Amino acid sequence: MSSSIFNRHLDRRTLIKGAAALGTFQATSPFIIQARGETPIRMGMVDPLTGVYAAPAGNEVMGAKLAVEQMNAKGGILGRQVELLVEDSANDVGTGVQKARKLIERDQVNFMIGDVNSGIAAAIAQVTAEKKILHIVSGGHTDSITGKDCKWNVFRVCNTTRMEANSVSNVLFTKYGKKWHFITPDYAFGHTLYEACTDDLKKLGGTVTGNELTPLGTTDFSAYLIKARAANPDVLILLVQGSDMINCLKQVVQFGLNKQIHVAGTQQELESLAGLPPEARVGIWMFEWYWKQPGVAGVEKFVADIRKVNNGKVPTARHWFGYTSAMSFALIANAQKTTEAVKLAAALENFELPDDVKLQPNKVYYRKGDHQLMTSAFVGEAQSKGKDDPEDLFQVDEVVAGDKTAPPVSETGCTVRWPS
Amino acid sequence: MNSAQTRKLITLTAIWAVLLFAPFWMLPLGGYTALATRVLVLGLAAMSLNFLLGFTGVLSFGHAAYFGLGAYGAGLTLKFLAPSTPLALVLGMLLGGVCGALLGALIVRRRGVYFAMVTIAFGQVFYYIAFQWSSLTGGDDGLRGFSRQPIDFGLFQIDILSNANNFYYFVLFCFALMVGVMGYILRSPFGRTMIAIRENERRSRFLGIPVERHIWIAFTLSCFFMGFAGALYALVNNFADPRGLHYSQSGDFVMMAVMGGMRSFWGPLLGAAVFVVLQDYLSSVTVNWMSFVGLLFVLVVLFFPRGLLGFIQRSKA
Repeated sequence: MSSSIFNRHLDRRTLIKGAAALGTFQATSPFIIQARGETPIRMGMVDPLTGVYAAPAGNEVMGAKLAVEQMNAKGGILGRQVELLVEDSANDVGTGVQKARKLIERDQVNFMIGDVNSGIAAAIAQVTAEKKILHIVSGGHTDSITGKDCKWNVFRVCNTTRMEANSVSNVLFTKYGKKWHFITPDYAFGHTLYEACTDDLKKLGGTVTGNELTPLGTTDFSAYLIKARAANPDVLILLVQGSDMINCLKQVVQFGLNKQIHVAGTQQELESLAGLPPEARVGIWMFEWYWKQPGVAGVEKFVADIRKVNNGKVPTARHWFGYTSAMSFALIANAQKTTEAVKLAAALENFELPDDVKLQPNKVYYRKGDHQLMTSAFVGEAQSKGKDDPEDLFQVDEVVAGDKTAPPVSETGCTVRWPS
Repeated sequence: MNSAQTRKLITLTAIWAVLLFAPFWMLPLGGYTALATRVLVLGLAAMSLNFLLGFTGVLSFGHAAYFGLGAYGAGLTLKFLAPSTPLALVLGMLLGGVCGALLGALIVRRRGVYFAMVTIAFGQVFYYIAFQWSSLTGGDDGLRGFSRQPIDFGLFQIDILSNANNFYYFVLFCFALMVGVMGYILRSPFGRTMIAIRENERRSRFLGIPVERHIWIAFTLSCFFMGFAGALYALVNNFADPRGLHYSQSGDFVMMAVMGGMRSFWGPLLGAAVFVVLQDYLSSVTVNWMSFVGLLFVLVVLFFPRGLLGFIQRSKA
């Protein structure tokens, strides 16, 4: 047998390597869990901090952090301090699921928030249901999360695509006309949104003049816009999102289409409007939450608090999603005096949010049956410049209550199955 | 028994011991079992790619397609055909492998950068099919509504859904099976021929070896292994997603293989372990974790051209 394996000399190189290894070990030692004293309540949050949704995800995290700070100042949950553990899902389902397992198995979180990407949110929901962890989906809009894939432990703060469509359809039809033309992103999300809009339109008695399916990441919309103009609709509905929305709106304005046809759409985000040149901030939209609500309790304080941590910028709907998600856990756990998921989930059904959390005029509650938050839709018009604030880019005409935009539970396809 | 054999035996024992006891030693180090499971699955995928890259010497940049097809194959089987985990694995592997065999016949005519580009192109075809065919695959939302089923032995069942350790050992068993087959093929005359092609294609041709056919067989086998890894991945997540077929995923696999060492059999597993653990740890600390993973990759390529394992082996010798 060779002597080289068992009987090696301790030479200089080995010594240096050993020292280096020891040094690395020291540097990475936080990786090893330290002994815990009084355990804090842990909230896990999985959001795509890198990738295309980085901006909205970052804002959700900021909102959740603010909520945790505020609840800790008030004594935390059940007298224990609250710790927020944020993990990056990198906009990838596999990574998101793995991070959720990490938070649950290793860090023993009591609650879970996430994700902006609906697909990841649904995949994480499977994990949280299996592990019996109360889960709030902060920003994934796909219907099925509180529809046919609904779970006993999963609640959702943001609107469903169906609610978004319903909120604007009526206004558009009565005020702007009955012939609609669509520009739809060609993937699952766009298709569901298109279906929801056309269903509404048919019920109201209008007609679709056409639907332009555009691949994700389209930069040149001219061909679609020329076709849309030729169809001569009353309203041009843009269902594209993110950078596609920015490109499409810019070209709509360049073509002067907004002078001939009413431009409209469903969900619009402050992040997108801020990314547009002033002249391209046009159209009728719905916001899921808007920062300027004169006379509504608590909103001004929330705006001021976010400005402090957001380089002086106002909160977007995403900040509110993160804030409300985290606050819901604290409210329900303190009210029920327990952290047991099944009891808390049962108590959250029809739970109404107080003024300083809901931050909007209408009644806001988690609906029993599908666990969807009945949150208002802020319908209005984009404006190029705010009157007294450069970030006031939206004129709210109407705040529609959630129970008016959401279809009844029986139509969502949700039947909640409780664990035995 | 000479010293080389002894060393090989010790290394092998060490690798399998580390893998066998992973759920026990990972916990005190701050890991968790699901992380080890992911390392195994992605490691198997990287080793499958390396079967082609490291031992036949052709670079495929579209292998994620067969990985993703395996995942969809397994998912669709569980969702629509039968609630059976073994059947899902077999059908997932078949879907990835058969598609690889058909396309491989077209791809093997090209070499070098053209080979890589054609593989990307075919890979993206599958990506867009999964992305657009919403009624079957769920499109961008992914395929969900299935979960891995208990393994039924007739007399007793093993629950691999809720028990993380049971699932880890199930994956380890599958991993060992595939790695065993892979090792057996590489030791066979066919495996030797593959290496001959890698070392000198023209000379192999002069020796009368049908090079194209051999590369095609290697490509096909590699796709079968990849499909199997993909099917396992679908079971890990209980989910299949079009991004699993995207060329950026292929890039990750190539990175794992190159980082770990593409001339060695176990290198890609080490590469996958480093990649997954680093991603898991760094992304909790900073949102700029990709820069660090990229930096490590650059350093490895610059200073250890034989990969991490190659470096370790050489410094031992």
